[in-house]
Amino acid sequence: MIVPYSHVLILAAVIFFLGLVCVIARRNLIMTLIGIEVMMNGAAIAFIASGLRWHQLEGQAFVLFIIGVAAVEVSVGLAIIIGAYRRSGSADADTYNSLKW
Amino acid sequence: MVPTFSHDFMLFAALSATLPPFLSFAVIVVFARPYPRLSAGLSITAVSLSVVSAVLLLLFQGPEGPHSYMGTWLVSGSTRIPFGFLLDPTSLFMLIIVAVVALLVQVYSLGYMEGDPGFSRYYAFQSLFAGAMLSLSLSPSMVQLYVFWELVGLSSYLLIGFWYEKFSATEAGKKAFVMTRLGDICLFLGILLVLLNLGNLNIQDLNDPSVVGRMSPGLVTFCALLIFGGIVGKSAQFPLLTWLPDAMEGPTPVSALLHSATMVAAGAFLFARLFPFMSQSPAAMTVFLTIGTVTMVLAATMAVVDRDIKKVWAYSTVSQLGFIIMGLGAGSYFAGIFHLSTHAAFKALLFLCSGVWIHYYETNDMFQIAARGGRQFKIPMIGMLLAAASLSGVPPLSGFFSKETILDALAKCHNPLWLTAGLVGAFFTPYYAFRAVFSILFPRKIEDVRSADKQHLSPSTAANQQHEGTYWVMAVPLLILACIVVGLGFFKTSLEDFLVGGPTTSVGGPIPQRQHEWLFYVSMLFVLCGLGLAWFEFGRRDASRIGIFEKIAPLKALFANRWYLDDFYRLLLKVVVYRTFANLTIRNDHQVIDGGIDAFCRVTVDAGRVLSRLQSGLVRHNVLLVFMVLALLALWFYFL
Repeated sequence: MIVPYSHVLILAAVIFFLGLVCVIARRNLIMTLIGIEVMMNGAAIAFIASGLRWHQLEGQAFVLFIIGVAAVEVSVGLAIIIGAYRRSGSADADTYNSLKW
Repeated sequence: MVPTFSHDFMLFAALSATLPPFLSFAVIVVFARPYPRLSAGLSITAVSLSVVSAVLLLLFQGPEGPHSYMGTWLVSGSTRIPFGFLLDPTSLFMLIIVAVVALLVQVYSLGYMEGDPGFSRYYAFQSLFAGAMLSLSLSPSMVQLYVFWELVGLSSYLLIGFWYEKFSATEAGKKAFVMTRLGDICLFLGILLVLLNLGNLNIQDLNDPSVVGRMSPGLVTFCALLIFGGIVGKSAQFPLLTWLPDAMEGPTPVSALLHSATMVAAGAFLFARLFPFMSQSPAAMTVFLTIGTVTMVLAATMAVVDRDIKKVWAYSTVSQLGFIIMGLGAGSYFAGIFHLSTHAAFKALLFLCSGVWIHYYETNDMFQIAARGGRQFKIPMIGMLLAAASLSGVPPLSGFFSKETILDALAKCHNPLWLTAGLVGAFFTPYYAFRAVFSILFPRKIEDVRSADKQHLSPSTAANQQHEGTYWVMAVPLLILACIVVGLGFFKTSLEDFLVGGPTTSVGGPIPQRQHEWLFYVSMLFVLCGLGLAWFEFGRRDASRIGIFEKIAPLKALFANRWYLDDFYRLLLKVVVYRTFANLTIRNDHQVIDGGIDAFCRVTVDAGRVLSRLQSGLVRHNVLLVFMVLALLALWFYFL
């Protein structure tokens, strides 16, 4: 491994937190969804690095699953967002507060 | 007689003396209610059986002392509560008084209650009443006695409120029930206290000085006073005496039964029953004597102004019961029980005689009765004259003997106050008794009723056969009672032998015959004064018909309002119960209970409101929270 394992993990953590900040800070639902994708990619990087570090194939195999789940999630998430937009006329997550007391 | 046979026989007789009235009550209530004649027949048969058994028991009461038959009813720890019969002179004597009076009253009621819609119900209650009182007199333990004591209270409540469509009758029933209940609470506490200290409630053990000696004298006094509380309620002593005059709302035969042998006699009987126990405490005996005296004088003064003939007799009952309690409290067991028996006879006679007029004239007012020709009824008139004379203590009659016995006992007390009070009573009693008798016997003018009406009312007209039958049904018990009233006094010595002599000397002990010669003359003087005053005011040809006590307005108001006892109770009820207790409980309810629940609800709602601030409704905040928690958990696991 040319790049040290810890560096890769730091990269993965940075990407994960960037995605988390995107999920928490942005109000647009689509941006929230993108944030989740970014977080998943951060996790995927950590998996790949771990697989390389311990010479195990399962790490890369899991990443394939993560990519698959991400694709499914985007399609389902976008569908939900469109549904929500049609109902409320807004893609702003903060307007969905009818469950609030 | 062979002892074993005798025992079985006695047990059987005791059962047949107490059970039949209860059976008849049950049968009437369940099956015979639609058939009034059958109900009356059943009830009278049952009580006749009791009379026969009581007589047999009395005859075969052997010389071997009191019999007691006890089966275990309840066992709790080391406490055994028995159920059975105690046959000793006291209980047998009471048994026969109760049975005879109950039988006579039930026969009399055939006439008095004729055609009443509640005829069967009346006989059912009469049976229950008789059964309860008969069983009470044979009870061997305080618990059993208490059970029947309460049954007597219940059935008298039912009978006082018998005409329940009259509001005053239901009120009177309720008053009787509640006021006696007040006393019964004391009695029950007394029984519990005795049970806790002795672990035993057998009457024979309670009356054994060596058993009671295990309790400290103060405790004995306290127990005796608590038990006396029950007697005060039941026998209508001061301060719980006002229920008895109100109990006149019931049918007259009920009053007769209630006032002579059953309800009120139960209290005096309990005193006599526990006499050795009660007399262990001289302090308590003084209290009993005081209460008896106060009751006797108060009630006698109430009787001198009332125009309602039944109420006069009711006050007289209260007064005479006070006199009985005085006799017992003065330490003479025999005086009390003897006066109890003679009183049962003449008071039953007084009420039953008055009942005849009340039945025919439908009024309780003695002047009304007089004005409508009450003296046409020969038998009640003679009966009442005899009974009133006996009540006043006129020599050859039974009341004279028993009153002399009590006065004699009072004369033996060191304090002359008691004897003085007794003599004051001896003055008032003939006054109010003969006030009623003279009013009816010598009416001022017989009201101008049409002769046809008079014919109808007169018992001796052949035209009214059915009425005459009724009249005789009512008259025969009167005649029998009159014979008892006249004759009972002459059996004083044999009764004394039976009750206090013989093998059961432990109950009281014979009274030394130290007759005070002067006492006889003094008491006769007082009786004659009372009689003379009654004659002067009500008897002679141009008497004013207004008693001396009625002329003095404040006295009349005081006596007629029962010394304002009822008003005092009402005030007490208002101040203590309504203003204080009711107010406190209302405030407790509104402020503590309701307020507590309200506060609890408010706190819950407010807490929910505060917590709901956490719920902003924003997905971002939820996500942030989830991640913060996850991060903290990660740190936690990392550093642990």
